[in-house]
Amino acid sequence: MFIGAIGCEPLQLRRVSLERSRTLDVYRRNGGYEALRKVLDGMSPDDVIGEVKKSALRGRGGAGFPTGMKWSFVPKDSPKARYVVCNADESEPGTFKDRYLMERDPHLLIEGMLIAGYALGARVNYIYTRGEYRYLIEIMDEALEEARTAGLLGDRVLGTDFNCEIYTHTGAGAYICGEETALLNSLEGLRGHPRMKPPFPAVAGLYGCPTVVNNVETLTAVPDIIKMGGDAYKALGTEKSGGTKLWSVSGHVARPGVYELPMGYDDMEKFIMEDCQGITNGRQLKAVIPGGSSVYIMPAEDIIGRDVRMDYEGLVAAGSMVGSGGFIVLDDTVDVFESTKNLTEFYKHESCGWCTPCREGTDWLVKVFKRIESGGGRPDDAQLLLDIVDNIEGKSFCPLGDAAAWPIQSAIKKFPEDFRRHISNGASGDGGKEGLPTA
Amino acid sequence: MAELIKVIINGQDFQVEKGARLIDACRENGYSIASFCYYADLALQASCRMCLVRIEKMPKLQTSCTITCTDGMVVTTESEEIEKARRGMVEFLLANHPLDCPVCDRGGECELQEMVFDWGDLEERFTERKNYAPEKFLSPVVANDSQRCILCKRCTRVCDEWMGEDAIEAGGRGAHTVIGTYGGWLNCSQCGNCIEVCPTGTLLDATYRHQTRPWELSRTTSTCSFCSDGCQLSVGSRRGEVMRVVARDRYVNGHNGEFLCIKGRFAHPFVNHEERLRTPLVRYKKGGRLVPTTWEEAVRFAAQKLQEVKDAHGGSAIGVVGSPRLTNESNWALLRFARDVLGTDKYTASEAFSLAPFFENLSAPLATHKDIRHAKTIVLIGGEPEELQPLTGKQVRQAVRNGGAKLVIFNSVPIRLKEQAAQFVHIRPGSEDAVVLALASPGDAEVAASKLGVEADEIGKASQIISETAGDVVLMFGGELSAEAQSVVAQLPAAFGEKEGRRFLLHPLPLFNNSVGVHDLGLMNGALNPLEILDAAGSEVRALYVAGGFLPAHLEGREGALSRLDFLAVQELFLTETAEAADVIFPAASFAETDGTFTNSDGLVQRVRQSIPPVHQSKPDWAITSQLASALGTDLGFQMSSSNIFLDIAHGVPAYEGLRYPLLKDESKPVQVKHALAGRRDVTAQLAELRRALESLDENAEKITETPPVGHELFKLGVLTSKVPQFHLLAAGNPEPESVLVSPLYQITLDPGLRREAAAGD
Repeated sequence: MFIGAIGCEPLQLRRVSLERSRTLDVYRRNGGYEALRKVLDGMSPDDVIGEVKKSALRGRGGAGFPTGMKWSFVPKDSPKARYVVCNADESEPGTFKDRYLMERDPHLLIEGMLIAGYALGARVNYIYTRGEYRYLIEIMDEALEEARTAGLLGDRVLGTDFNCEIYTHTGAGAYICGEETALLNSLEGLRGHPRMKPPFPAVAGLYGCPTVVNNVETLTAVPDIIKMGGDAYKALGTEKSGGTKLWSVSGHVARPGVYELPMGYDDMEKFIMEDCQGITNGRQLKAVIPGGSSVYIMPAEDIIGRDVRMDYEGLVAAGSMVGSGGFIVLDDTVDVFESTKNLTEFYKHESCGWCTPCREGTDWLVKVFKRIESGGGRPDDAQLLLDIVDNIEGKSFCPLGDAAAWPIQSAIKKFPEDFRRHISNGASGDGGKEGLPTA
Repeated sequence: MAELIKVIINGQDFQVEKGARLIDACRENGYSIASFCYYADLALQASCRMCLVRIEKMPKLQTSCTITCTDGMVVTTESEEIEKARRGMVEFLLANHPLDCPVCDRGGECELQEMVFDWGDLEERFTERKNYAPEKFLSPVVANDSQRCILCKRCTRVCDEWMGEDAIEAGGRGAHTVIGTYGGWLNCSQCGNCIEVCPTGTLLDATYRHQTRPWELSRTTSTCSFCSDGCQLSVGSRRGEVMRVVARDRYVNGHNGEFLCIKGRFAHPFVNHEERLRTPLVRYKKGGRLVPTTWEEAVRFAAQKLQEVKDAHGGSAIGVVGSPRLTNESNWALLRFARDVLGTDKYTASEAFSLAPFFENLSAPLATHKDIRHAKTIVLIGGEPEELQPLTGKQVRQAVRNGGAKLVIFNSVPIRLKEQAAQFVHIRPGSEDAVVLALASPGDAEVAASKLGVEADEIGKASQIISETAGDVVLMFGGELSAEAQSVVAQLPAAFGEKEGRRFLLHPLPLFNNSVGVHDLGLMNGALNPLEILDAAGSEVRALYVAGGFLPAHLEGREGALSRLDFLAVQELFLTETAEAADVIFPAASFAETDGTFTNSDGLVQRVRQSIPPVHQSKPDWAITSQLASALGTDLGFQMSSSNIFLDIAHGVPAYEGLRYPLLKDESKPVQVKHALAGRRDVTAQLAELRRALESLDENAEKITETPPVGHELFKLGVLTSKVPQFHLLAAGNPEPESVLVSPLYQITLDPGLRREAAAGD
């Protein structure tokens, strides 16, 4: 397992391999809280937002929304309290970068949130962590206590007039709570259902107050942006995608891990074959799901020799998305029908049930997959799957419906043979009775 | 009139009000848009995804229920893309929905069924096995077949937003989400509104399951016969039997919309109950038995006896007692009988308290329930509308939750509604009058506060909220107020004076469906009130003619009164305590068997319509009175028609002047009677009396700190509710049965022991 930077100096991963990296002591000796000092020593909140805008930092949770713009949506004249909420509900299959950031460099997140809190006028911030990351809560709480004792958190941060508190909160293990409005509901103690947008959280979020919800990786990028300046940060990446990005590499590669790459890293084939040391057991690359399970699957022929640039624009051009950077590599032993079924079962299990297409659609999709798998395939099943997916896509309440739709769409399009093989088994199978769910 | 903006729907220009919701704008202009979860006046849900439309410059299809119209918006509601989306949603909804329409109670009036007719495909592509969940009882009156649920969540929103109870909520996740209750058993006010708003057969009336198919029912729009809210309802009957009661009409926002309470919805089985009186009964000799007889003989005997008393002691020795449960027409017939046939001034109605002092001093119009919903300040002195006038409770709750109204409650009991209150003033028991004094006369506020057991500034704060209101102030009061306090409350608007943009409305909280009606007709203006009539029994009053029984509270401590009479004639549904003492009993028709009107607490005069023929040999009360009058030689001139009586009322009662049945036809536009406004009156005498009473208040009286349990009034077993098995279970604390699973032909069984015990308890 590799954790480090390729093609650039490590920024967010600078300290993760140091001894006792999670302590305040090590953090401070390695440049920690200097950005906070710089902010409190003379930058106005607008200066901070300006630098983040200049940095071309885009939300690292998956949607890639420009962070500076998100921050500037918070109304300046609202009499209400404001909140910064860190989305640490890292649940996208194939994604595990936030976990290492929090486990090994918790103070980086605290510093990032303090700066965000300063910029947005938030006095109370929350870290919402997925239920399965309970041990990270302990690490975070320990770090928060350390910061509090050192005068970095709470009243009069670093002796200034700036007051800011950070609390941790744990979810109960629902994928939907990674969606920012469902997260806010959960944080308020309600059922984890997404909320209607508009109003967007920047206007009416937590407890109806202006709120910014940012991913761990996004917030941990902020201290470096402040330190080096927005322009310098942006220069690490490309014009539209500034800075560096963490990729959680898993699957059939020799060296999985968390890789920090500059935005616009060239190219994906080199990344897989050299940086990740190629496919295990000398097998062939079959496909890559580059941005967490919700993005389009890329077949090897769209990668090999195609010079795929690893940034937001490059991956869209190559037919997929950066998403959360959950980079799943599949070798030629993988049956894409089976892997897609697996993912669909995940989406069915995690559908919150709020809206019709996602709730009923994913349930139906799984039933069709199971029928096909157990030999009940019918000639028009691929078309049926695509049509169900079409009735979900773009029609669900929140993006989770789309997330369930895209992997299937691309899998059938790019790997029709895997589907055809299973579907045509129908004649020899038991007609599909085996795989049906029972009461 | 609101500003108009232009919206282009399917290529055609329309002017709509600024801020209009797109789905409403489309529907109002003739484009039908399918929806399940959208429900006017409930929080937006946008989850069924049926109402998708295309809006120019927006990337995806949009839910029209969440879109506010903007000027120049270009909308497409009909296209291939939209039709595919809609058909897709219906297909999804039907995927796990059992196709058991032939055995489903909702079959025939099911919104999903209708939607499938419009947007379903002939052939099902979903051939997999459907998810299964067992059918369960959620309470004695609510059954739940969760397989049929499409998760529109109208029920949970109604429970939360209308009732403030949050008794049902979704559990589980994804396709396994089920609407249910915490702990599996509903402990709520059992209003059944969740059943009413359910678009499918998921939530079911457990008292009606598998009784009839909807299309077999004759539906009659009528007015509820329980509390003073006067909800409009639709009585479903088959072959002379009332099978069910639901709110009047789906989607129509009349007086109560789709709202009903437990009594309105579930307490109707008294109508066809086996204990209904079947024939007239006569007791020829005091101490003898009641024997069944014919109408002719019963009327002859009663007329003869009344004539004897009249001849011996004069007509004024005969008392006539109407009832706030009966129609205006029946009460009017009784009043005419007293005046014109007997010539007696000893008439009254078996009412809990008289509203006469209130109406005499009325200085502001009565608030309708719609007014309450949109009020900006609501002041509640005494009373407990969530138990005694549930629609009022719901309107107050919504005014606060959805309209941002400020609710000020003065109550000696921490009633449930206090959860919604901006200010709850917790007073000592029995000190409601002092609140009125303090509000009307700020000089007395300090002394009153100490007697009430509250801080002096609490009254000041409440007064301030009233003073500063921009919009409607509704003043409500319960039956705790004395006659003097009622007068002063009625004058409070005058006391606060005029202010630009503020309007005072008054809202009494009487207990019965026609409490205001009996007052309006003048039946409460007789020489004696019900208690005085009972006390005079055997002396000044030699005979009584009673329609409906006395209240248990009237008879308490006066057990022998009725037996001291020379003669007692009673018209009743059941052999009540009053009827048991009678010499002649006439079987009367219930509200479901008669035509007439009730006047509710808003002063809305609403039609009662005959749903079924009178059961057994019963007759409408006014018809009995009319017949008795004829036997005594007077024709009251009703020509056996309730509309003639109403015409007579319109001629005789100024507030009802000009009203006719045809004017009351459209129940979604109820008619308010014209109560005369008194203007500013001198109430110094009443204030002085309140001051005197204040002095005798006990400053050390202990406050009631416990919030009464839900249903403590609603589930009480009375003459009518005791005829409904489910009420016995509820009154006994709503115990959860051993198995809540439903088998098709098995309704909740009643433990006979439990039933007896509960019946004896009230």
